[in-house]
Amino acid sequence: MKHPSQAALALQAGGDLGFISRWRVERHLAQCDQCREALEAYQVTRQILPDLAEIPEIPWNRLAAEMKANIRLGLEAGECVRLGDPPLRETRWFTGTRAAVAFASIAVLLVTGAVLERPTPVTAPVVADDGMVVQATENGNGIQAGRRGQALRLMNPSQRVLYSTDAQGSMRARYVDPETGYVTINNVYAE
Amino acid sequence: MPSKGLNKLLAAGVLAGATLFAQEAPLPTGSVSINLPKDSPVALLAISSDQSRATMRGAAMVLDLHMSLSLRNGGAGRIHGVTLRVVSQEVAMGGKGSVTIPSLNVAPGEAFPVRIDMQLVRPTQLSAGPLVRVDLDGVLFHDLSFYGEDKLNSRRYMTACELEAQRDREHFKRVLAQYGKEALKQQIMGSLQRQAELQPLTVRVRRGIPGVTNAGVANSSEQMAKFAFLTIPDSPIQPVEGSVVISGNEARAPMIEVRNTSSRPVKYVELGWMVSDQAGRDYSAGSLPSTNPIYLPAGQTARVQPDSTMDFSNGGKPVNVRKMTGFVSQVQFADGDVWVPNRKSLENPALQKVLAPSAEEQRLSDLYRRKGIDALVEELKKY
Repeated sequence: MKHPSQAALALQAGGDLGFISRWRVERHLAQCDQCREALEAYQVTRQILPDLAEIPEIPWNRLAAEMKANIRLGLEAGECVRLGDPPLRETRWFTGTRAAVAFASIAVLLVTGAVLERPTPVTAPVVADDGMVVQATENGNGIQAGRRGQALRLMNPSQRVLYSTDAQGSMRARYVDPETGYVTINNVYAE
Repeated sequence: MPSKGLNKLLAAGVLAGATLFAQEAPLPTGSVSINLPKDSPVALLAISSDQSRATMRGAAMVLDLHMSLSLRNGGAGRIHGVTLRVVSQEVAMGGKGSVTIPSLNVAPGEAFPVRIDMQLVRPTQLSAGPLVRVDLDGVLFHDLSFYGEDKLNSRRYMTACELEAQRDREHFKRVLAQYGKEALKQQIMGSLQRQAELQPLTVRVRRGIPGVTNAGVANSSEQMAKFAFLTIPDSPIQPVEGSVVISGNEARAPMIEVRNTSSRPVKYVELGWMVSDQAGRDYSAGSLPSTNPIYLPAGQTARVQPDSTMDFSNGGKPVNVRKMTGFVSQVQFADGDVWVPNRKSLENPALQKVLAPSAEEQRLSDLYRRKGIDALVEELKKY
């Protein structure tokens, strides 16, 4: 049995597959537990990413909400100080005929979009890795990876740790384990 | 090994407990699955994960793993390296790491410990199966033969480590044979001093090159810098030219063109990357690996061009880049053979200042530090 690619499953999880591809993937999913599990994991990951953003000390979601609220407030303040401009509906530009033409144009655009095949996304899977960061922890006792470096950590129980990074996005921490006496290399991968 | 149903129950129990009390919960041993293939040359003797914890963070479960495994060499050859994949979930970031133990020397029938200390993230909704899976990625033997799935390219990495180990042991044995214990002691003390003097550099790597294709986004402080190269005489690959876009402490879109000067086709190239700051201090910035599998026939050129952006800092302060230097640090031929620089090439003063010692030199110098010169001499005699 040929399994769909990870990219196809990730796109399916986000509802971004085209009609035919979606149909083929759904047919496969109906009979493949392994791919169903992978799909569920992608769906879960999509759900938890906003929550992970709350892990760091900076509450990103709250900041975003506050920024939105400030923008809304600014727009409302702008409305308040607008002097004497009549509402658009009362100008001569807003006539029934013109509105009908505008709505008709939008309708044609929507119908055209629906008739044509939904565009096939050419981007990487949902787990896009731009913004993925690997780095040593601030106190130097480990390495971490993830968006803003919060998703994964490797801790090193040694004071003498040698770090190496490769430009592909993986990082290694090498130390002599004080308990075993062996050199131990912890690896984090950005992919 | 616990059954799948039991694993589900354990996972559900941990979830319920951690959610109920919204704090850490111990990780039951049964929630960790150690997967060794039937024909694996290593066998699991014991596992201890008493110190491991699970903590709920919103919809995610953070697994704080502190495990100790005891493995036994059940094969016929001496084991010189092992890599384990540690996975809490495969499909998204934060769920996968690995542990490599190079420089082993484990005879058939002998046991050896492996410690795993890491923190993984896992969606709470993923309740099927064990919480953590530990898989064997590969085992390297004394004759450089390999067993394993090699999903993490551990064969190439452990082979390079082993070649470096052989090189460095030979060097120290030669010093001991020709000049005696005192000379060996001086060599090791020099190594420890270099390790202590290595300038720490925090490198953050971001995949992707933001704005690089859009000239309008380019910052006016950006400049295209040329790489300088250190010549490694016996290298089968020679750098031709290279460049990187530098803006303050950020370097992006590194590109190095290399030529295969050997008579054999090459499939992997890795270059070391050194950075000099405005004050003239030198740091090791990491490595530039060839991104995708390449096939570079003899006499041909190819580009090493990872699509990433790196920024550098030291003690929380940005390290502004003045100069970049590259050198060939590892090559793999199409037939699987691996090349690493010889000891003489590494004696280049510029390299000595920034290059970390090999894993084996690190182990041997640590052995000397903890147990003295006689223990080191005894260790060298084992090879």
